Amino acid sequence: MIRDFLAADQCLKCNICTASCPVAKVTDLFLGPKAVGPQILRFRHPDYALPNVGEEWCSSCGTCSLVCPHDVPVAEMIARMKERPTRKVPWRDRIISRPEVIGRFASRITPLANSLLKSPRLRSALEKYLGISSKAILPALARTNFKKALREYYVRTPNRLEEISRLTVGYFHGCSTNYFEPRIGELAIAILERLGLYVFLPPQVCCGLPLQSNGLFDAARKLATQNIKYLEPFLRERIPIIGTSPSCTLAFKHNYRAILGIDTEESRLLANSTYDFFEFILHFMPDELFRIKFRGVAARALYHPPCQLRSHGIGTPALTILREIPELELEVSESACCGTAGTYGMKSERYEVAYSVGENLFRKAITMDADFIMSDSETCRWWISKHTNLPAYHPLEILARSMGIV
Amino acid sequence: MPSLSTELLVVGAGATGLGIAWDACLRGLKVVVVDQSGIAQGTSGRYHGLLHSGGRYAVSDPDTARECAAENAILRRIAPHAIEDTGGLYVSLDTDPPDYVPEWFGACQAIGIDVDRLSHEDVRRREPSLTTDISQAFLLNDGALDSFDLLRSLAGSIRQIGGQIWLHHQLRGFVIENNRIVAAQVFSEIEQDTILIGADIVVNSTGPWADQIAALADIHIPITHSRGTLVAIANRLTHTVIHRCRPPKDGDAIVPNWSAMVIGTTDIPVASAEELSIDPAEIDFLLHQGEELIPGVSNRRALRAWSGIRPLYNPGQRNSDTTRDVSRSHVLINHAVTDGISGFLSVFGGKLTTFRLMAEYAVDFVAKEFDIADECSTKSVPIDPQRKNYFILPSRAERLNQTGEERNDSVICECEIVTRSQIEAALQSGNHSSLDDLRRETRLGMGPCQAGFCAVRASAMAYASDEAQNALSDLVSFIERRWRGTLPLAWGPSMRQMAFTRRLYLELLDIQQLLGDDS
Amino acid sequence: MTDVLVIGAGFCGLYAAIAASKRNARVTLVASGHGGLSISHGCIDVWSSSAPSRALSRLKKTHPYRLAGKDALNTALETLDLISHDADYPFIGTLSKPTILPTAFGAIHTTAYAPLSLAQTGIQKNIPISIASIAGLRDFFPTLLSKNLEMNGYTVRRTMQLPLPGPVPQRDLYATDIAQRFADSSNRERISRLWRPRLAGVDRLGLPAVLGLHHSQRVFRSVQDLLGVELFEIPTPPPSLPGLRLENMLSDTAIKMGVDIILGSPAAGRIDHSGKNKRVSGVSLQTAGGEQNLDAHSVILATGGLLHGGLVAGRNGNIVESVFNLPVEYAESHQEWLKPSPFDEQPYEKYGLLVNSRMQPIDLHGDPIFENLFAAGGIIAGADRQIEGSRQGIDIATAQRAVEAALE
Repeated sequence: MIRDFLAADQCLKCNICTASCPVAKVTDLFLGPKAVGPQILRFRHPDYALPNVGEEWCSSCGTCSLVCPHDVPVAEMIARMKERPTRKVPWRDRIISRPEVIGRFASRITPLANSLLKSPRLRSALEKYLGISSKAILPALARTNFKKALREYYVRTPNRLEEISRLTVGYFHGCSTNYFEPRIGELAIAILERLGLYVFLPPQVCCGLPLQSNGLFDAARKLATQNIKYLEPFLRERIPIIGTSPSCTLAFKHNYRAILGIDTEESRLLANSTYDFFEFILHFMPDELFRIKFRGVAARALYHPPCQLRSHGIGTPALTILREIPELELEVSESACCGTAGTYGMKSERYEVAYSVGENLFRKAITMDADFIMSDSETCRWWISKHTNLPAYHPLEILARSMGIV
Repeated sequence: MPSLSTELLVVGAGATGLGIAWDACLRGLKVVVVDQSGIAQGTSGRYHGLLHSGGRYAVSDPDTARECAAENAILRRIAPHAIEDTGGLYVSLDTDPPDYVPEWFGACQAIGIDVDRLSHEDVRRREPSLTTDISQAFLLNDGALDSFDLLRSLAGSIRQIGGQIWLHHQLRGFVIENNRIVAAQVFSEIEQDTILIGADIVVNSTGPWADQIAALADIHIPITHSRGTLVAIANRLTHTVIHRCRPPKDGDAIVPNWSAMVIGTTDIPVASAEELSIDPAEIDFLLHQGEELIPGVSNRRALRAWSGIRPLYNPGQRNSDTTRDVSRSHVLINHAVTDGISGFLSVFGGKLTTFRLMAEYAVDFVAKEFDIADECSTKSVPIDPQRKNYFILPSRAERLNQTGEERNDSVICECEIVTRSQIEAALQSGNHSSLDDLRRETRLGMGPCQAGFCAVRASAMAYASDEAQNALSDLVSFIERRWRGTLPLAWGPSMRQMAFTRRLYLELLDIQQLLGDDS
Repeated sequence: MTDVLVIGAGFCGLYAAIAASKRNARVTLVASGHGGLSISHGCIDVWSSSAPSRALSRLKKTHPYRLAGKDALNTALETLDLISHDADYPFIGTLSKPTILPTAFGAIHTTAYAPLSLAQTGIQKNIPISIASIAGLRDFFPTLLSKNLEMNGYTVRRTMQLPLPGPVPQRDLYATDIAQRFADSSNRERISRLWRPRLAGVDRLGLPAVLGLHHSQRVFRSVQDLLGVELFEIPTPPPSLPGLRLENMLSDTAIKMGVDIILGSPAAGRIDHSGKNKRVSGVSLQTAGGEQNLDAHSVILATGGLLHGGLVAGRNGNIVESVFNLPVEYAESHQEWLKPSPFDEQPYEKYGLLVNSRMQPIDLHGDPIFENLFAAGGIIAGADRQIEGSRQGIDIATAQRAVEAALE
């Protein structure tokens, strides 16, 4: 709490965060980031519980921290308020915050799981008994998971990499690529290899971000510690870690230290060594990248930078690269958040608000007559696609198309 | 000239005056209280907020310590709502004289003050922001006392049992017949006329103005004035009162106060009750002292600085450099004996913690003059019987949860969570005549933004009933006072806040355009 | 390597990025947060009192307007005009005749250019107006507003509070909340149906500025038609919608023109030690994952003054420029920074960097400190933009000049 006070010192109550909050704008059930962050902090006491001030309405999109001109980490303060003892967390949240567990279990019965998830009766039962919105985006499982399909890329320790002369990078695939969208991982690796990199898969577990955003900090910390332990030997060899899911990479870069409080030499090393896919290729391989003659992709597309990507503070590197693709008519979403903000939009009591947050974005995609949407984050893709009936791709899929890889 | 008569006229609506009025009313006397401004606008409203356990004075002034200990228990019984049960940590740092501790410990025991020794782990767990250079630490039952809440509810209770309180009525002169004060001339700021109040006994409980009031009867009271400055830090880095366990010096007490934390205090001799302006060196000093207890505090956001004047009875009239030697205990002067003017008492000095006791002594004396046999009952009569519990900080946040179909309230001051219904209630109570009065009653504008947003919101409520010109000048003077209090702290985020406030007032609202040539 | 790196996303920085982009430069804009547009009235103040051209020629040579030159101001105003027309967010007004607008306090704000929804009717002393607030909106007080407007000599015939359909809001509402309710056309119709009967006999109605955030012109026109009265909007205390609309217009334009915007990471200046000329190489950004270098041919510092962190006032009485640690012009004694009343002219408003007529920060000898570093907006010393009523004018004039100098 002391650390929060130090940060709250900077708050001028200027309401820039409140003005930008996508949730406060669409519902008066949320007091707004200023009120629930630095303002209420001054009324906290270690021995007495603070009454509920509606902090559960915050979707953790991070927009408030991003826009604050005074460096107040508003979103982080609110995220820390959400930490709860496990027994106070509903079963639904304990389940949906563990995509790795769901994936591992469900992938044993993939065809059955997929058809069950499509069943309206099951979906309304899930809503009624667990509170998972029947309109939530529950993606279909892939036939073979990514880790299994690409097991020859698996490298357990860095000594296996000693003879490699090319620039070597480790790929953090995350749960979504592993269980639901292995194609994205395959294309990512293909692009990186085309650029001359040597890619491998280090040992890894779920990044833990859904656990953290649902208040299960201890469980999240366990996963975080595990990842740090697995990756540390590679990091000490100065091998960067690349991720295609901006929420996973944000967890590594930021959340482990700023929210879970794991502030060690190792966690800092991880933060400094983690890169978003486009961030990495733009910064480290620009010559190789722009030497490639991009093929045209004749389409109208809307690119939506996910809120988690914006929080990296690296701008929109995918956009810089997409702009180089001939014939691609690009428009950029002006929305700070598409609404789902990870697991937020899956919850039945949050669904309406999440939908309202994204409405402008859905409308824009439809009225601009887009052929498809692009977004770096998996939950954004599934959510926007569902509400616009348009295909949604990771921008690297379009890059792969333009590079002639697909 | 309109006139009325009463039995006891009390001049000054601070802790001393209201304490006396309360005790006297309970004993059946007819009482009128007058004050040149509002409730607790003198020293009572400008003090540190400390409910003493007595530990601070155990060695240097055991009598005061004993009184504090007894009154601490009494106040907890009669006014728990104005008290936050923070506890008091007495820490002896590695650099403090170690032989003070056993002497102090023994002194506390002799007086009967409970002292719990704490281990280093206990201290770290309880207050992680404290320095680690602590050699010994003890827990006593100091608390945080909100003088406004206390005195406001006291004023309400006085009125309820028939006492009258006339605010914004300034004493201008006495009518003396046969060496006895028989009446006082009092000027009403609101009505703009003078009223004559006849009284059998007049009590001068005006704190640092006591000498000025006595002078109206041609009486000289040898009072030395001392200014004590305090700094409020925007966040509570501790939730416990912190004292240095060493001979009491300036700046070595830190007190949580609502949502802020106050470091105090200094001791600067000044010439009169009006010398409130702060020397920047005092701020540096206080922050430096605070730094020894809470490393890093001098770089934390400071909200504002303010000062209060202590009246110190100095019958020897020594001009000492440090007024700390002059008596700080309460003083009761019967002017019939000292100056040959009867029907006139002066009561001043002392600490807020012992205000009730000081009033008891005074009213014991007054009761004898009126031949009233009733004993003092203030030890046991609760001041606000409806509010039985200690103040708990997070409970303020409950005001944010007034929701549902019936919701029609509004949060006017977001920083301190003050609602419109609270302000309306304060307006009804009759204690207010300005936004600054409202601030004292409700904490409007006392948070980090220093009324940037809520000044206009609250002012709008006054505009609704008031003439625009009055409302405007009251708003301007309120804003100016907030600004002046932050001036000595204009660096870092406080500086930014001032720049922000100015943007809001001068560019978005253009308030100065309405001030025209008077600005 | 980008051509022009703009640091700061306020009105000044956003304009500079667009102006540079219009000259076909590759532009990157970085900022640690949003600028101050959401706390501004969304108008273009050039010079508050008299006709600007007369006042400008009488200014000191060191005043930012004189340094930037009249041409820069005129070019910037023309450019802004083009941008706002392209974005369907037109401004009205002329430099020679100031536009008079009421503030939420009932005072008078004099400006050069104002958005249509604020200024289309204008207020005149002989034409009575009505003022309405909206239920739930906390920061708008028709009684206070009209009493003060009357002190200013205007006539307010009626004040009222207009309800909103739907359930009672569960908290106080900001202007942005209400703007959201106007976004949808069927909602607009619903609200208008509720309001029309209450507006019988009203010709000219002043409302708090809540009529839409995106496509606000469309929203304004539609509500005006539905209500059948002449409307004008009044900016509210923060968040101020006219300021936000202007911010959105500029950032959307910048993105459309291909400006790379990196938000959220503070910048630290990097100096180029390689050649013999004194140059800056760019900045290092403090991103979530650590430092990332950004190289640029030229850098434009548009970081503002003490409010938004371009200048930082330390505990020890120093004022530091926060990116490149450039020398700052300010009074050494802390007592001199501020005057006792906020309504007085404040010395701190004038503190900042000394620059030449190419907007390059200069040293004691008057020489540019770095040949490819330029400054614009509030970071420049010499103007109390609040008293002068010159904030936005100086923002764009200096930004325009800085862009021209950077790309010469």
